[in-house]
Amino acid sequence: MHSTLVRAQNVFGFFTTVAFCTALLTALSVLLTPQTPSATIELRNVQVVKGRPHYYSPKKEEYAHIKFDLDADFTSLFNWNTKQLFVWITATYPPANTSSSAHPSQAIIWDTIVNSHSQSHPFNPFKFFEKAPLSTKKPQKSTPTKKQEPRLRPGIVRLKNSKPKYQITDISGLLSDCVNVTLEVGWNVQPWVGALTWTLPEGMQLGRWKGVKGGKSKVFNMPALKGKSANSEPVVASSGTPKAAEASAVL
Amino acid sequence: MADDLLQQAQELFEGQIDFEGQKKTELVSTIILAVSGLLAFILGFVQQNIYVTLWVGLSGAAIAFLVVVPPYPFYNMSPEKWLPKGSGMAGSGIEIDGRRIN
Repeated sequence: MHSTLVRAQNVFGFFTTVAFCTALLTALSVLLTPQTPSATIELRNVQVVKGRPHYYSPKKEEYAHIKFDLDADFTSLFNWNTKQLFVWITATYPPANTSSSAHPSQAIIWDTIVNSHSQSHPFNPFKFFEKAPLSTKKPQKSTPTKKQEPRLRPGIVRLKNSKPKYQITDISGLLSDCVNVTLEVGWNVQPWVGALTWTLPEGMQLGRWKGVKGGKSKVFNMPALKGKSANSEPVVASSGTPKAAEASAVL
Repeated sequence: MADDLLQQAQELFEGQIDFEGQKKTELVSTIILAVSGLLAFILGFVQQNIYVTLWVGLSGAAIAFLVVVPPYPFYNMSPEKWLPKGSGMAGSGIEIDGRRIN
């Protein structure tokens, strides 16, 4: 500590240690806040159509277009250290060749990023040093809107009859008449400092964190290919297949 | 004249302080940084605002730099009392291997 340079080095060195310890405390403090996420997901409509992965592809595949309702409450996942939340919905279905050992296939049909309050409203101490606007009209306009805007807790996701973001297909290219499909909600909490945390399945508990309540749809079956009969055999088989599609969509 | 100026510039750049001052800066920097880090966490947690933690911690570090790094006169209050020039030479001298060196 005898010269300026040595003092600067020592102060900075100890500052990094303090910053690390504060970050560690912040990351661990997340465990104190209880988490009770809940989600209800229901199938609205499902269609299977033929399509191509891209315009010039000679390969034709079957694509499932799944419409759904989502009513989720993830507000408890937002604590002071949460930066953003990534939410997604997967469709899980057993593999085409039903060998019992094979894992079920999963495909994401919808996802979104939910920003926390601290992410969408960054706090900057330098704004206190900024000069107030000189014109008198602007603050009059801006102040009432600021007062009206309540500090909402983000994390409520409500979707009614939502279209999927992604139309899914299987690696085999065949998806029609696939049975035992379920929709599941998953999430990933991204903190400012600390570890990423993923979906806690229903029934699991980790300290004060509870697993998701609900979060799975009822089992449903994929309908037959839409318009298959109309394309290949326009007259004969048209009576049978559309009815089957309608029936399975109600499930 | 030029030598004096150069020496002044060097002293200003090095910013040396005495032993007592070094002890003080060590203590002061440790206390300011540790307290500001703890305060940053507590204030942020109470207000549930991570930005409070960030800026309290950073301003604590800035204060520590401002207080400790420049060679303030209060870090030079007790200069070391060296023996007067040439005092040790005449009487005792230094003995190495039984021979007296002057």
